[in-house]
Amino acid sequence: MLNIKNLRVGVKDKEILKGLNLHIKPGEIHAVMGRNGSGKSTLSNVITGKEGYNISSGDIIYENNSIIDLSPEERALAGIFMSFQYPVVMPGVNNTYFLKAALNAKLKNSGKKEIDAASFLKIVKKKLAELDMDTSYLKRSVNEGFSGGEKKRNEILQMITLEPKLVIMDETDSGLDIDALKIIANGINKYRSSDRSFLVITHYQRLLRYIEPDIVHVLIDGKFVKSGGKDLAMKLEEKGYRWLDS
Amino acid sequence: MIPIYLKNEFEKINSRKLYSKEVRNFREKAFSELLEKGLPNKKSEEWRFTDLSMINKGDFKISKSQNKPRKDINIANYDFESFYTIVIYNGYFQKNLSPTPPGIKLASSFDFIKDKKWNTNQPRKSSFDLLNTAFMDSVLNLTVEKNTNIDKPLRILFICSGKEELMISPRININLENSSSFNLIEQHVGNCDEYFYNGSIIINLGDNAKLDHVRIQNNSKKTINIANLHVQQKSDSNYSFNHFAFGSALSRINLYAGLIGKRANCALNGLSLSNKNQHLDAHIITEHQATHCISSQNFKSILKDKSSGVFNGRSIVQNNAEKTSSSQSNKNLLLSEESFMNSNPQLEIYTDDVKCSHGSSTGALEPEALFYIRSRGIDQTSAISLLVGGFASEIIEVIENAKIKEYVTKYFDQWISENNQ
Repeated sequence: MLNIKNLRVGVKDKEILKGLNLHIKPGEIHAVMGRNGSGKSTLSNVITGKEGYNISSGDIIYENNSIIDLSPEERALAGIFMSFQYPVVMPGVNNTYFLKAALNAKLKNSGKKEIDAASFLKIVKKKLAELDMDTSYLKRSVNEGFSGGEKKRNEILQMITLEPKLVIMDETDSGLDIDALKIIANGINKYRSSDRSFLVITHYQRLLRYIEPDIVHVLIDGKFVKSGGKDLAMKLEEKGYRWLDS
Repeated sequence: MIPIYLKNEFEKINSRKLYSKEVRNFREKAFSELLEKGLPNKKSEEWRFTDLSMINKGDFKISKSQNKPRKDINIANYDFESFYTIVIYNGYFQKNLSPTPPGIKLASSFDFIKDKKWNTNQPRKSSFDLLNTAFMDSVLNLTVEKNTNIDKPLRILFICSGKEELMISPRININLENSSSFNLIEQHVGNCDEYFYNGSIIINLGDNAKLDHVRIQNNSKKTINIANLHVQQKSDSNYSFNHFAFGSALSRINLYAGLIGKRANCALNGLSLSNKNQHLDAHIITEHQATHCISSQNFKSILKDKSSGVFNGRSIVQNNAEKTSSSQSNKNLLLSEESFMNSNPQLEIYTDDVKCSHGSSTGALEPEALFYIRSRGIDQTSAISLLVGGFASEIIEVIENAKIKEYVTKYFDQWISENNQ
């Protein structure tokens, strides 16, 4: 699904990712854990195609093709989705309208007929119920006046509507209470499948109690210093990161 | 100083036999005041950011045609079904196209000069008000009698056409008697190249009267549009103003709203779209002179290319206006590096016990927001349209009349698709 090879990425003159390797197979859940400033957000941003990063070496291969020259929308249409750490507030942009535009972009790209408003509403109402969200979401502006939990739920709503193949969750657990966390984890677990992969980026192992990873990577100073099973996350919770510092 | 052509044209209009001695005296008084005052220039604080050389260097002529009905207006181009319509064509009231709507008393005469029932007080009289009085061509006196509600919006349709360098100076006096209400649409359209509109509209709202006023400035992008708007509100009256400025090379709206009766409510909104070398200026004043009044100013501009704009909003709370609630907001979106906005929201408060707020922001589209939208598979062009549409929607959503909302939305969408390449 995703194969990152010896990736070196910098912003201006500063190198942030210093030769990173990652191989995610279809259906796998990988977790990346690390402290602030270790390069977690840079990793998710370069996979999704955010501008402002300089890739000096290495490659990102997604479904057998290099994606580093693709625009964010091309990557999205190829099936890559990121749940943002800080979802953007867009005053005046209606949530339903936005979601429908995104779904239609996907349908159009795959040569399918665009969906009409009535059929879309039917689908989205079902998805809302799955995430315990009420229909008032549909009338609001994207993320405007949303609480932290509501914003993250809205990200998951977008995910389960767009049905991507590779999901990157950038600190989805930050700012969530335990109930919201459970709802989101349920949403994700329901969407686990043999052809959908997840990259879960997190500070704490809390989220990993609800979403069980196949492999856990520890990111320190732009490199994976250790990878292992889910017990590695437990160990980090117990011992912190210091024992891994070289 | 005023340009020489204005002097010549004044001689011309004032010697027309059409006008009575009283009207001539009225004009002369205004013109001599104007000569004394001159047209404003950039040294004046109120005109620092707006260059009037288009007026100074122009050579505009008063309309030759008299009050004769025009036969060349194709009314199929304009929606005459949804509204009562009054047509002013190149400065002249077209009686044949403007049947008086039921419930409204309409007269096109200069009688307001001597008739005491017309309060035509212009509390902040500018040089352009004087110029308007000196050159008044069409005059409309419009009364909605007390307790009357007009069933359909009344539209005043200003059409400019032809190749002459025309200056037109309509004067419209509107009286809403106690507990009356109606919707007014002021629509400016036309395709002419050289045209200088300088109109004054004076609105009085009686106790408990209600006026929704939508102004659509969609005239040719080569012309000049100066709007002088004076509003006076008595107790419990409601005035709402929604301004959509798309047209004109140079435009300026001077809006003054005086809240003289208790519990009056005044909501002023505006959206300007400009590109190329357009310059759109809004000077807005609300003056609270009684207790428990509410006013708001919410203006937005979207600027492209080398266009520029001005928002100068002032909210004055006089010392007898306790329990005032007043808010001011100006937000501007710059879609090009060369576009320029001058924003100056001001509060002048002379009493305690008031709730007032103001704010202003000007900036480009946020890259983070564009990335967010694109990361959902939506292309860059559509992402920009989505964000710009969101920015404008707050003002467009305020329009109550479905036909007008449709018209404005359609124009807006077209503007976005033409300006988002």
